[in-house]
Order: sequence, then structure tokens, then C-alpha cells
Amino acid sequence: MPASATVDALRAAFPDAVARDLVQSGHQRVVYIDPGRNAEVLDWLRTDPGERFNLLVDVTAVDYGDGRPLEVVYQLWSIPHRKALRVKCELPLSRLAIASVTTLWSAADWLEREVYDLFGIEFTGHPDLRRILMPENYAEGHPLRKDFPLRGRFSRAEQTRRALSQDMEQYYMPEEMEGRGAPQIVPADESATSAPGNSDR
Amino acid sequence: MTRRTVEIPVGRGAEMGMDARPAMGPLAPVDVAEPDIGSERMLINIGPQHPATHGVLRLICELDGETVVSVTPHIGYLHSSFEKLGEYRTYNQIVPLTDRMDYLAPLIYNCAYAMAVEKLMGIEVTERCKVVRVICLELDRIFSHLLWLGTTAIDVGAFTPFLYAFQERERVYQLHEELTGARITTSATRIGGMMSDLPTGWAEGVREFIDTFPRTLNEIDALLTTNAIHQGRTMNIGAIGPEDAVDCGLTGPNLRASGVDYDVRKDRPYYDYETYDFEVPVGENGDCYDRYLVRMEEMRQSVAILHQALDRLPDGPINVEDPRISLPSKTDCMSDMESMIHHFKLIMDGIGAPAEDCYFSVEGSKGELGMYLVGDGGPKPVRWRIRPPSFVNLSAIAKLAEGHLVADLIMINASLDIVLGEIDR
Amino acid sequence: MGLSDKPAERLPVASSPPSGVFGAGTPTFLTTRLDFVVNWARRNSLWPMPFGTACCAIEMMAAAASNFDLARFGMERMSFSPRQADVLICAGRVPYKLAPVLRRIWDQMPQPKWAVSMGACASSGGVFDVYSMVQGIDTVIPVDVYVPGCPPRPEGLIYGLMMIQEKIRQERLSEHGTLRAEDPAAVARARADADEVLALSGPFGNSTRQNRVSGPTGSDASDRPDDRIP
Repeated sequence: MPASATVDALRAAFPDAVARDLVQSGHQRVVYIDPGRNAEVLDWLRTDPGERFNLLVDVTAVDYGDGRPLEVVYQLWSIPHRKALRVKCELPLSRLAIASVTTLWSAADWLEREVYDLFGIEFTGHPDLRRILMPENYAEGHPLRKDFPLRGRFSRAEQTRRALSQDMEQYYMPEEMEGRGAPQIVPADESATSAPGNSDR
Repeated sequence: MTRRTVEIPVGRGAEMGMDARPAMGPLAPVDVAEPDIGSERMLINIGPQHPATHGVLRLICELDGETVVSVTPHIGYLHSSFEKLGEYRTYNQIVPLTDRMDYLAPLIYNCAYAMAVEKLMGIEVTERCKVVRVICLELDRIFSHLLWLGTTAIDVGAFTPFLYAFQERERVYQLHEELTGARITTSATRIGGMMSDLPTGWAEGVREFIDTFPRTLNEIDALLTTNAIHQGRTMNIGAIGPEDAVDCGLTGPNLRASGVDYDVRKDRPYYDYETYDFEVPVGENGDCYDRYLVRMEEMRQSVAILHQALDRLPDGPINVEDPRISLPSKTDCMSDMESMIHHFKLIMDGIGAPAEDCYFSVEGSKGELGMYLVGDGGPKPVRWRIRPPSFVNLSAIAKLAEGHLVADLIMINASLDIVLGEIDR
Repeated sequence: MGLSDKPAERLPVASSPPSGVFGAGTPTFLTTRLDFVVNWARRNSLWPMPFGTACCAIEMMAAAASNFDLARFGMERMSFSPRQADVLICAGRVPYKLAPVLRRIWDQMPQPKWAVSMGACASSGGVFDVYSMVQGIDTVIPVDVYVPGCPPRPEGLIYGLMMIQEKIRQERLSEHGTLRAEDPAAVARARADADEVLALSGPFGNSTRQNRVSGPTGSDASDRPDDRIP
């Protein structure tokens, strides 16, 4: 594996925060870092004059299923130095929380909300952590997790009923959003019989 | 009680605070008392079904009079769970999903997806395929910018550019249809190549389009660029500086309008883009007008790239000649057994990808369009993530619209060139 | 010019009243059926409410633009306000989050009103047999015409709208009481009851596998435990 100046510099700056690094798909450099120190490391990558990863391209997550830890993935790009880096943090299913990077990049705002909505990963310190794609009253959980069936947990009849019971007048202002990000509670679906095989992976 | 100086026709009447005597002379400024209306902020809901939101976008605006104090966008009204669906499909079966995501530039999405999978699998496509895909990418950049141009012109009150732009779009529709059989949902690419080779005369059709299209573009240009109404509606509206634009994650024409020279075609070239001769237009002010200028110039540059690509279009196979990836020809399938079994196996089993991950991005019409794929050795991805350019671009609208009028909010929203299918996915 | 070759023949009726057919002494009324004239007026001045969400909306715009020109059918005014609209064109995918919006727009439209479901996704969910998608808008609102296609061509939409016109032509005023009956309690509720939703959104052939996977009813995940083949 060829050496990478970025990874060497990162290891020198944070000897105990960098877990390992890989090269994927030819030449793409991936660094696994300690999820407890993600904000610190990413801030260094953003501001260090030799790195200057100033464009946060993407924040997403990957669920591999089978109880394996979820990965939070940051895609970084340095406009001045024209180089890319992928930073990953592994989160165990028992503690799906990581520090938000909205203070470093405004772009992280919606991207983290989406990860929260679809994976249920809580971003501590996010100013406005609530569902972004799914309806506010969505109660079936976080869809992109592997234990979530493709058609949802409820029957189509119950999904239709819940959809039409959404409050159309609701609106949100930032100050009303405090205290969001509560753990998900999935109520029972009365109109469908639950059967084994709902969790298909 | 506040006071302000206004110009009123002198002697209009007692209600203006003057006596009712008529007076001669031109308009004279006078001091009038402005009633203290105890300002109350108003919440206005725009969308999700509204012609000016360019899709099912919902904007909750807090207004002080007609000024936007804050705007809270609500998205997800078109969430179609592409990413979840992709985990249940083989790599080739995902291709038809990609063009339903951005129906304004379907070929760009087809190409970007196929290129990401090829990167993950380590497939090098043929020279002819590369040039054909460059033609597809640039043709749909024009296609997408034309829709943006037409609908944005409607938002500033100009209807003619919409009709002109759609006339030209019809011709691209025609080219799509000749190439793939569909007008919008093209599904033109396959892993390792294209659905089929170019039909006879298609390249000449593209050539004819790019020969005559600049004339229409110049006509629209003459209608809008120096138009006082258009300039008044767009100049200094929704301006964002280069640092803020990078901070918000803007990419594509929106970022370049702010003066940041970042174009994936130049910075991370794919398909020999470094050998094409083209310019990347960069704006200065980052306002709606600069975004308009950048997109107009991008269309001209795309025409230049298309000319070069058509000139160098090489002969040769369009698909990689690897039986594990490319399907045998239909004639072979119908005539010999081995090809039939081969075809069946490839369709039913799919193509396996290594247990690695891959991020690949192209310069889409809206910005940096990334595809992040995680394979596990099987024929279906573990995770298929689209880095949505307009999702990130739209998240900046709250910052852009603050302090502008409601009418400008519509213009700012239009100038970001969003497509809800890709924002909500 | 062919016209100038010989003098045009004068119409025989024009000889006694000099100013044309409707001159003095000619009858100025015509007899017709009330049904016919009301339906004729209605079907030639339909105002569509374009509820466009995704790809089909682009084809709907193409249908309204120069080459296809919906205005030829009396539909040149796209009514973006549901209160002045006659035909709801639901073009594109409708996720559950959007379902109450669609229902409210339908409820806001005044009678008489018709609905066109344009495209596969609006009609049946299309390829999106997933957690977030309404499996056919006919579970939410009543639909008159389904236009198949993904997306349908503009000609397809125009044909669907002509079918609406044909439907209007066949209506009778005496039936309007029953045709247009609306239960106030049905406002903001799904059109179909739970059983019908289940039946309508049942899976079909290609939804997750390449073969037919289950019977005609039942759409929840528990019916098909082997959705995901490892």
C-alpha cells in the first residue's frame, strides 16, 4: 500500500485517534478514526495548511447488517490542494451517537439530519436534529437500517391511515425544535399481524 | 412614531396630512407621519404544491411585511427510497432507477452510476464508450440547463424563453428517443458499456442540434441578459461569497458563480476531460444573475465539447469484451446454446463486485454528483448512496433568502436549479 | 390564385336577407338537448390542476409547451389553484408524506371534478414498491382515467384527457345528483378502506423478484419473508 502524506500527517498529529487506513477501489484513501474525537480530527483536516479539506462533500452512513457496527462516512475534498479523503467512524449499535460537525461546515446540517432520519444516528450538538425526509409522525423506525423491511413495518392500510392523519397545518420554527432527537419508540401496528420474517436480514 | 421622508403629489388631499388646497408645481418631498402599525410577523406557507417551487418543496417563511425574516424549507415530499431499493437490486437493475432520480438530466445519472460501479469493479471501458458517454453527459447538461432557463424565465415573468427552450428540448428528447427508445427515462448505460451502440445517423443528429442550437441560445440571451427587468430581478439577489459558498457545500454552477473555480471535470478529470478544450465559467458576485450567466456560458462550452467529442468519436466495440460483464449479442443468444446460457446467467446472477467501497463523482448539471457504493462480493450493493448536489445546494436557501423580499425568494429558489426527485431520492 | 378564376357562387339564403343567414326573418335560436350543451361547454373548457411531482410533470410541461399544445383542447389555462380547477392531473410519484396534500387539493376542488392518474407510479406505485410510496393514488382519491407509461408521452396524456372529455360527453344532468354526491365526512380521509387498500397495493410480479412471489392480497412485509435473497 503506497504511503499517503495526509495519513502520515494525521497520524503524527493524532497518534491515538487514527485506527487504520485503507486504499479502496484503486487509489481512494480511507481513514478510520476514533468516533469520540471526530470533530477534533476533522477540524484539523479542515484547517491544517497542508491539508485544507475545506469542502465537506458528503456525510452518510453504512449499515452492514448482522449486528455489525454502523459506519459514519465523511467525504472530504480539498479545493486548494485538489485531493480527496474519506474518513470513517465506526459506531456500535448500542451507542449510535457522534458529535456533529455543523460548527465546522454548514453543509453538514442537512446531511446529518438525513443520516439521523434514515439510520437513527444521533449527532450531539446538532442545532436542529429532526426528521428531514420522512414525515414527522413516522413511527416505523429508521428505514435504511438493515433490519428494516423494504415495504416498511406496518401494513399498507396502516401506512395510508397514518399518512392521511398527518397534521397539514404544522410548521416548525427553530426554537420549537429544542429537545428533539429522542430515542425511537415504535408502537405496535394494530391492523397487521406481526409475523416472523419481518426482520429479513 | 417614526417619520420618514417620502415624495407625494402635493395637494393630493387631507388624508396625506396636508390641507386640501390644490398646489401647483412638481412633486415635492414632505415629511409625513408613518403610522406605527405594531409590526407582527407573519408565517406564510409556500408549497408543497406550488408552481414556483419547481417541485414538491415546502417553504415556511416568516415575514415582516414583505421581507423574509427566515425561511425553513421542508423536503421529503418526494422521498422514493431509491437507496433502500438499490440494496435489493443487482448492479445492472439499478440503472433504470437512476434516471428517475433526476428526470431533467437522466443520461448524466445513468453515466455517473455506471462509472462508479466500473470504478468499484475495476473495469476499464472502451475508448468509443468513453466518448459516447462524454457526448451523453454534455448533451444532458444542455438539456437540464434549458429546463432551468425556461422555468426560471417564467419566474421573472418572461414566458417566451420557456417556449424557445422547450422547442430545443424537444429536439434533445428526439435524440434521447433515437438513442434509447425513451424520452426521459433513458436507462442508456450498462455496467461496462452502453445499452447498445449508437443508432445510424445519431451522431449526425447531435451535430445538427449543436450546429443550430446556439442560435436559439443567442436569441434567449438577447431577450434576457441585458433585459432591465431580468437584471433588476436577479442582480444582487441571493448573493453568497466564496468562503460561505464552500462552507455551505455548494457545488456546480452555484459555487462557480461565487468565484470558486471548482469543476470536477477539471479537478478530477474522468474520460479524458483534460484533453478537451473548454473553459469553466466563473462568476464574481455569487448572485442570481451570475448563476444565470454561468449556466448560459456552460451551455456554450458544452456545445464546444460536443463538437470535439463528435470529431474524435472512434470506431470499435462499445462494450468491454469480457464475458463476465457484457451480454452476448442477441443474434448469438438466439442461435447457440452457450450464449443463451451465458445471457441467462448474467441476467439472473448479476455481476459481483468486490467487498470494497468506492466514491466516484462527476460534474453533473446541478453540481458534484457523487455515487458511493459499498460492495460485499455479491451482485447487489450493501449500500448505494447518491451524493445529491441539489440537496446540499438547497440547504443554503435559508442563508441566501434572509432579508430579501418574497418575490426574490422565488427567484433565489429558481436560481439554485433544484430537482426534487434527487433532493428527496 | 384559384379563387379569382370564376366568381364565387352566392349562397342561396343570402339573396333575400342581405346580411347573411341570421338576418331579419330567420330564426335566431336552435334546439338541442340541455345535457348536450352543458356537457359540450364543460368538456371544452376544462381547466387542469397540474399536481406534478416527478418525471411525469416534465412530460406534462412538454404537453403544455409548443409542440403538443394542450391549449387546443381548451386547457390552456393551467389552474394552479385547486379552487378554479376541473381536472386534477396527478403526474408522478406520490409518497405517503404527500398523500394528505393530494387529498386536500382534491377536497378543495369544486364539483364537477375529475382526476387523471398519469404514469405508473401514480397509478400503482410503479417500480417503487417501498416503504415510503403510496401504491396507487386511487387509495386516496377517486380516479377517472389512468394513463400508463413511465412516463407517458405527451400524446398519452392528451389521449387520457380526451377520454375525460368523452366521459363528460356521456354524462346526463339527471344523474348529477348521484354522480356528484360527496360525503362531507369523507373529506381528508382515504377513499379506500383498509381492506381495499391492502387489495389495491398487493404486490405484483416484478416488485422485488423476477417471478411472481405471492397471491393477490396482502402487502405487508410479513407476507414475503424471503424478500431479500442473500
